[in-house]
Amino acid sequence: MTARWFPDAMPRPAVNEDTRPFFEAARDHRLVVQRCRSCGTHRHPPRPVCATCGSFEALWEEVSGRGTLFTWSVVHQPFHPALREAVPYVVAIVELEGTGGTRFTSNLVDAGPEHLVVGQPVEVAWEEMGPELTLPRFRPVTG
Amino acid sequence: MSGPARAGGEGAATVVKESRRACIVGVGQTDYVKRGGSAESEYRLALRSIMAAVAEAGLTVAEVDGLSTFSDERSGQWTLAGDLGLRALRFATTTAIPGGGGAASAVAEAALAVESGLADVVVVYRSLCQGQFARIGRALAPDRVLDTPPALTEAALETEALQAFTAPFGVLGPSIMFALPMRRHMERWGTTTEHLGQVAVSVRAHAARNPRALMGGRPLSLADHQASRLVADPYRLFDCCLETDGACAVVVTSAERAADLPNRPVAVLASAQGTDGPQLGAAMLNAGSTADAYDTGGGRSVAGQLYARAGLGPGDVDVAQLYDNFSGQVLFGLEDFGLCERGASGPFVAAGALDLGGAMPTNTAGGNLSEAYMQGLNHVIEGVHQMRGDSTSQVEGAEVCLVTSSPGIPTSAILLGRS
Repeated sequence: MTARWFPDAMPRPAVNEDTRPFFEAARDHRLVVQRCRSCGTHRHPPRPVCATCGSFEALWEEVSGRGTLFTWSVVHQPFHPALREAVPYVVAIVELEGTGGTRFTSNLVDAGPEHLVVGQPVEVAWEEMGPELTLPRFRPVTG
Repeated sequence: MSGPARAGGEGAATVVKESRRACIVGVGQTDYVKRGGSAESEYRLALRSIMAAVAEAGLTVAEVDGLSTFSDERSGQWTLAGDLGLRALRFATTTAIPGGGGAASAVAEAALAVESGLADVVVVYRSLCQGQFARIGRALAPDRVLDTPPALTEAALETEALQAFTAPFGVLGPSIMFALPMRRHMERWGTTTEHLGQVAVSVRAHAARNPRALMGGRPLSLADHQASRLVADPYRLFDCCLETDGACAVVVTSAERAADLPNRPVAVLASAQGTDGPQLGAAMLNAGSTADAYDTGGGRSVAGQLYARAGLGPGDVDVAQLYDNFSGQVLFGLEDFGLCERGASGPFVAAGALDLGGAMPTNTAGGNLSEAYMQGLNHVIEGVHQMRGDSTSQVEGAEVCLVTSSPGIPTSAILLGRS
């Protein structure tokens, strides 16, 4: 039994050829970001082309899952009926370690909203949203 | 017309013939009422606001030969042209600058049409009844709960594929999206919720003098702001714009035509549109910006082009209408357009800068926060009143008004001048 923070009825991702590998890796608890095969630039969210050099060739690089808190919002109003029991929750943007500052929008879980600080270390925490979907959330690094 | 010649690029000299210089000569609006309060359809309000603006300009509707709008406007130009009985619709456009980023751009495109001779009288309009259609504040939320969560579905559109990296994480509306850069600004520069509250309070005071303002009769104190519920931290209820039913319009024509009309023409001195860096649509605010530029409105390059084209600088701006879908967006507008130092907007507004008599009187009709949510075309109308000299919160001697559209998404801005 893995930890749960958000309801199954949350909006689900719709995927295309550029984004499907991300969600497939997430099923295996691997956090991956795209990296341009030509110039080496990381990018997220997944895109069909590198905005730095124009190459359509990219690989998926597994990252450590560690990072630092870049910014956040504590959401109090449920903008989706499924979130009525989930508020307040923290939307967080995380700068992923080892990616040249690539930012990842997710959630900070297991964290009191009163203790958030820009730059604080965080690590990925996987949430099984049902048999088809696993999503990366983040939690503060403890100890 | 006085004022500097318009330049085509940054510093370039594409001079417009003085007789063709674009001026705003008429403004019109329906009553502004709370979301759901309009007895008439959004489309009928579009017709009424266009007719009102044309009449106020001293023109007849048949003379209109251009229609320009922005955002997700539902009242289409060709349908309106038929119902309005236009003799010819020679120019019809909806700017590609999205949402609230596009009001100034819609005026700029009307001005381009007039100055190039494509059209002579262009009406810029926006009709928006959130009570009759989807609420913009919730536009990113699929508002239903499924009994059985489906498997991953195929994204039909690129926008949908991008939302896969926001919606499943609960990023479900503009208040959350726009809160993220503001929170970083607060952490970096010491900006506080009281600073945000002061924006709402100053703007509400302007609304109190404006009989059109929806919140004109509702005084707001900093304590009221602080006591209002949190929506998406740092934004509280009174940091968020109104949800309104209404429509408004402005009439753009040439200086030559304006000379025969009753109102003092207001010159469109310059316009600019764009972003500071790569954007991935409205779902990912500032996604492509550098870490240093993340906590801005992404409008600094637009500001640079705007001032260069007008031959003016921030010091020439006497009054400002800065897009305010959320209070903090005004802070980004002040900083991006050089009206205060980078990072200093909080203390700037706390010192009363936005008030009448302050360093930069701003949103002098009440803006999106307190007049009406006309997505910033009401900001253009108030800019016109300031340059005519007949605002309900008139800045004495004002000769240049800056009007900006939404920060944080591809944006646009114009400078208006007293003639």
